[in-house]
Amino acid sequence: MNRRTALGFGFLAPALLVVILFFLAPVVLTVFFAFTNMSTSTGIRGGEYLLNQSILRSIPEDAISTETRNTLENAGYQVNDQGLAKLAETVSPATADELRSLHGGARFDSRRDMERALKDLRENRIRSTRDRKAAADLFNTSILNTRYNTEDAFRAALAGTNVPVGDHDALTSFAYTGWSWTTENMKLLFSLDSSYRYAANTALYVALTLAFNVGFGLFLAISTFYLPPVLASTFRTIWFLPRILPPVLYVLMWKWFTWDTGFLATMTGYLGIAPRNWMLDTATNAWVFVVLINGCVGASLGMILFSSAIKAIPTSMLYASEVDGASRWQQVRYIILPQLRWPILFTTSYQTLSLLTSFEYILLSTEGGPGRATEVWALAAYHTALSNYGGNLQYGLGAAYALILVVIGIIASLLYLRFFNFKELVSKPRIEQ
Amino acid sequence: MRIELKNFTKTFGELTVIDRLNLTVESGEMIALLGPSGCGKSTTLFTICGIHRMNGGSLHFGDRDVSDLPSQKRNVGVVFQNYALYPHMSIRDNIAFPLKVQKEDAATIARKVDEIAELVHIPELLERKPAQLSGGQQQRVALARALVRKPDVLLLDEPLANLDAKLRLEMRSEIRRIQLETGITAILVTHDQIEAMSMCDRIALMKGGKIVQLDKPDEMYANPADQFVAGFLGNPPISFVDASVVGDTFVLGAGEIAVSANLMGRVPSQLQLGVRPEYFGPQFGSGVAGKITFVETQGRENLYDVTLQNGTVIRSIQPSGQSFALGDQVSWGIDTDNVLAFSANGDRI
Repeated sequence: MNRRTALGFGFLAPALLVVILFFLAPVVLTVFFAFTNMSTSTGIRGGEYLLNQSILRSIPEDAISTETRNTLENAGYQVNDQGLAKLAETVSPATADELRSLHGGARFDSRRDMERALKDLRENRIRSTRDRKAAADLFNTSILNTRYNTEDAFRAALAGTNVPVGDHDALTSFAYTGWSWTTENMKLLFSLDSSYRYAANTALYVALTLAFNVGFGLFLAISTFYLPPVLASTFRTIWFLPRILPPVLYVLMWKWFTWDTGFLATMTGYLGIAPRNWMLDTATNAWVFVVLINGCVGASLGMILFSSAIKAIPTSMLYASEVDGASRWQQVRYIILPQLRWPILFTTSYQTLSLLTSFEYILLSTEGGPGRATEVWALAAYHTALSNYGGNLQYGLGAAYALILVVIGIIASLLYLRFFNFKELVSKPRIEQ
Repeated sequence: MRIELKNFTKTFGELTVIDRLNLTVESGEMIALLGPSGCGKSTTLFTICGIHRMNGGSLHFGDRDVSDLPSQKRNVGVVFQNYALYPHMSIRDNIAFPLKVQKEDAATIARKVDEIAELVHIPELLERKPAQLSGGQQQRVALARALVRKPDVLLLDEPLANLDAKLRLEMRSEIRRIQLETGITAILVTHDQIEAMSMCDRIALMKGGKIVQLDKPDEMYANPADQFVAGFLGNPPISFVDASVVGDTFVLGAGEIAVSANLMGRVPSQLQLGVRPEYFGPQFGSGVAGKITFVETQGRENLYDVTLQNGTVIRSIQPSGQSFALGDQVSWGIDTDNVLAFSANGDRI
């Protein structure tokens, strides 16, 4: 590598770092998470091994034998040499000897029975209940309700029971409480009715907002083009405000505008309409405001792009169309719009991609409501993975949602690149002369 | 169609660009608005086609007062300097555009486009896009588009400025041919005197928002109204020489010439003489002595700068094949009948 290449990479390094950290890494992690069952309950590191009654009950009938089930459930307590040795160690050898003489080799089904047996001690009483409970545990031969940190520890414990060896593997997998690799997320995603609902919502959201963005952006660009310059730039500045305003503040203003004691409700109140939250009153209302809130932001970008594209049309061409007899409308229809073809296509494709993945204005305004009426795909991913009302954050399922968007986004980008013939687009200005 | 501009005034903000200009273009005539940059010739043209509005005065096409009509309703054809073809339309659509916006039916449009394409010699280019055409071809398309709806007047704004020298020569005669064939009234805006003189019936020479002289090209050349007109027309340009009158001779810096009969008795004692290069040379005798300081070979003829003793330069144009060389001392004569005399403030005497 010569010095110039090194210098080039040096200058590129910050950009590369940002691309890797904030673009590539999230994509790779999304793919990775999407094929796990990670959630709040599994954690994101490895997990422990635990069997208890409820896990045992959740194991399918034919996965392990009934004998195994009974052995595990009825293992209970036994006064054996092992336990007695531990008792001699923790309490005293005398106590252990007395218990051996009283109940040596006896079996008890429950801890209470074991504790009762310990109460039988006369010469070496264990007085406190707590100590008695601790002593009872020494004779526990069941592995239920005990957490094992590693698979080896769990298998060793299993080996100490009478459970048939054939069921060890099955039990180990059921006892694992951490995350594991799975394709269940994708299957679940495609089986849920709500997924199709979110997909339909997303399509509606993108289509309506895009139409508003491009249509209104064009309208603003063309109408301000025909205004006197000072007036035009004033209007453009006003219409640019939604874009430069902090989103939280911008949406807060919309909320103030629409909530039940807000501007809209107050004004309509004078007309005798009962005050209501206009944004969240019905699904239709929510959609109208979602499109307006996003649309005003997007339209301002379109307005700027289209305005500069119109300005790039040579004045003599507009003069020519006027002396050729074209009215304003004909001038827009035949001269201006055809030459805005590329800016319009660019804005459309760019905004399709950004709208597909954007959910922040919906999150701030309706949060997907009322009900799930305005829940779009990206918002569903966010809710599932990071802000679940139930509290169990399903990272894996959320990532699966996101992965679908990543795939759609990449396919769409490739199509656009091909469709726009990107090389030609950057090499030659689209507006000639 | 006769075009009549009366007391036309145009202001941009505080600045008055054109003050009470009067111009009449006869029907079927081609007239040139000639002048240096900023003289108001383009402003006048854009006002006639309606792109600029008048601040005062009136404009008539024939008997119709179009002073307050927008350009859409004036029925003018304009050829712009950069042709202003619509890049996204085919040549056919470009030419058809003025008819299309008037909602003529498709068959009529096709017929008229074919006719006009025939007239400007581009019938084989109709399906192409403007970007695929050469400058001269684009010019023909622009002419066709301007002429297709038979406008009252054809306005040409520096139509040859963007062409290379050879094409310019070709299009000069082509535009004139098309204008004569259609018999349309035409106004040509140009800063090139040769274009104006070779293409137009009359020239309106403008300076500072005023028409200085309006005349036929040869008349204007031979008989300029003032020193500005004399200096503007002619290539190589006229030379101006300070002179004083002693008896019946003009005394120049280095020599003297006789006062011609038509000037005799009308001249002040101090004046400027305008000598065109073709009226200074050995064939007119001798008497004006100087040194050849510059020789330009043009093939058919040579151009000489002769510097007199007091530093004044007089240009001379001579048939080639003569033996004068740079640095030679010469004494040449001036054709006194064709000397133009101007007073100190530039007025023609």
